[in-house]
Amino acid sequence: MQTIPQQIVIDCTNLTTREINQKLKALAASESIPAKLLNPAGRHNLAVGITQIAIAIDGPVGYYCGGLSDNVNIEVFGDCGWSVGENLMSGNITIHGNASANTAASAHGGKICILGNAGPRAGISLKGATLIVSGNVGYGSAFMMQQGCMIVCGDAGANLADSIYEGAIFVGGEINSLGADAKLEPMNDTDWQLLEQELSALNISARDYNFKKVICAKQLYHFKAKDWGNY
Amino acid sequence: MDSEKVLKTSSTYTPEAIAAIQERAELGRYMIRGYGAFRNVPRFDDLVFLTTSLTRLPLEGYREKCTTKTLIGTRYAQRPMELDIPITIAGMSFGALSYNAKVALGRAATLLGTSTTTGDGGMLPAEREASSKLVYQCLPSRYGFNPTDLKKADAIEIVVGQGAKPGGGGLLLGQKVNKVVAGMRTLPEGVDQRSPCRHPDWIGPDDLRIKIEELREATDWEIPIYVKMGATRVKDDVKLAVKAGADAIVLDGMEGGTAATQSIFQEHAGIPTLPALVQAVEALQEIGVYGEVQLVISGGIRSGPDVAKALALGADAVSLGTATLIAMGCNKPVYVEDYHKLGTEPYHCHHCHTGMCPVGITTQDAELMQRLPIEEATTYVANYLQSLVMEVQSLARACGKSDVHNLEREDLVALTLEASAMAKLPLAGTDFIMGQS
Repeated sequence: MQTIPQQIVIDCTNLTTREINQKLKALAASESIPAKLLNPAGRHNLAVGITQIAIAIDGPVGYYCGGLSDNVNIEVFGDCGWSVGENLMSGNITIHGNASANTAASAHGGKICILGNAGPRAGISLKGATLIVSGNVGYGSAFMMQQGCMIVCGDAGANLADSIYEGAIFVGGEINSLGADAKLEPMNDTDWQLLEQELSALNISARDYNFKKVICAKQLYHFKAKDWGNY
Repeated sequence: MDSEKVLKTSSTYTPEAIAAIQERAELGRYMIRGYGAFRNVPRFDDLVFLTTSLTRLPLEGYREKCTTKTLIGTRYAQRPMELDIPITIAGMSFGALSYNAKVALGRAATLLGTSTTTGDGGMLPAEREASSKLVYQCLPSRYGFNPTDLKKADAIEIVVGQGAKPGGGGLLLGQKVNKVVAGMRTLPEGVDQRSPCRHPDWIGPDDLRIKIEELREATDWEIPIYVKMGATRVKDDVKLAVKAGADAIVLDGMEGGTAATQSIFQEHAGIPTLPALVQAVEALQEIGVYGEVQLVISGGIRSGPDVAKALALGADAVSLGTATLIAMGCNKPVYVEDYHKLGTEPYHCHHCHTGMCPVGITTQDAELMQRLPIEEATTYVANYLQSLVMEVQSLARACGKSDVHNLEREDLVALTLEASAMAKLPLAGTDFIMGQS
């Protein structure tokens, strides 16, 4: 009787990035078997441009992990470099560690969870995805965000939500400063429900934090004279 | 005796300068407009060909074969871009341009066997269908940028900057952001869309290298990746883009056009296309990749001679933007009353940013767009491109070349000292190269 493997294990040690991604794409195309990557060693561009696959990565990854992907379930047990989940369309990416700059840059959909701190420009140009950071985010986070939701349990660096169009940012800690055209809005019941729902899945209690909500002030929606104070 | 009044004009406070001061006084902000630079700069017109006589033999102008095939992206891509002609259509967004204009450009490019390019608004499905070879732009805004469309592309163009506004981001005023445009860009309808000036996920050339690898991995290393830049510090920028792994460089000079930007960018930022091209070729030669990394030049190229001179100076292809819009009717003397409503006249219109384009090209207004029938616009652009190709072939044959890519620097001289210095070509009738001799 043929044994169906429960998980495909790929050791990255002696493989090129191209070879690893080719293996993952072949898996995604053939069967829905979860893959486990060992020894990623901070390698860039793992699991990019891939659709419909579950991957666990045992160790730190470099730039763009899970970038340009759709309908994926990626878990990284380690830290990650720049732009994890860049332009994600749908699915989940979870980092059990810290993330560097540009987390979830321009992600359209799905959910990206950083169970640690994220560096500067987290959620930059976010286009509809949900970004959750259990720790802090750096300066310039949510810059030019267009849609979606960003939840930061810790502190946010300078110029949070600069030039956003739509969407909401929730910060449980301190906000160093708001960027151009961003403003605080009182939290309502719906906001708390959303936070409880999103965070309880990560075993985090929303009520343990003093969440504040940041949205677009819409003062720069139309280019007009004498609005330089907003820049 | 009656005599006509002599009107004296200040060379400092010209009528244009006075109008500019008074417009700023009314608006309290800088001026925004479409089109490209109005100022006169040294350009390809300042060069002429040394065609054949006794020292070289011409080819029969109307009959002998002169090939125009062009390959872009031969460095790494499994499927380089194969073009029938060395002229491509530059990236112009759906949003800045109407649906009809985008589709017509795609169809015209297909008829001529060349590529067209998306823009800061994503890939319009009808544009993909119309274009047999489509370059998908990866812009700082990432509006409508997604892995599904990425896999449909024939090449990717990472846009670092644009000749009309190097260092500046895009601008699409709210009157053009209708429901469809807003939906493609994930923006609120009717809101001024100000695209970022830098990419969200990388900052410098080392990051760009990794970004390029990401795009290659996502497309299985099949299609070429171009890097497009506005011409400023050309030599360094070209070398860094090559080092980052670009298959091809697209360099846009200051005569490049735009749908809307601050006029200060158009007039006071960047360098002209002619010296930009010369410096880019030198940069590629200095690092030993000339011929391996292709060079596409753009910015104010309007005629066959412009194209031929660009090829002779070392470009592999040229890219046209504004000129193709003019071919389909931009600034045509029709619907004159509508030009007057905008406070302008045919041949002087630069009101692309208003969305009130009298000829239906740079508008999202359904009624205005109907003034640009797709079939007619396609024919005009295709005819125009065809005529450019014939002009390039004519000049190439007259220089004794059976392939337009065999045009060379030795076929050119400069008519002015400025052009001699910038192109590093001899002044006509002399051995003198300004700045070198």
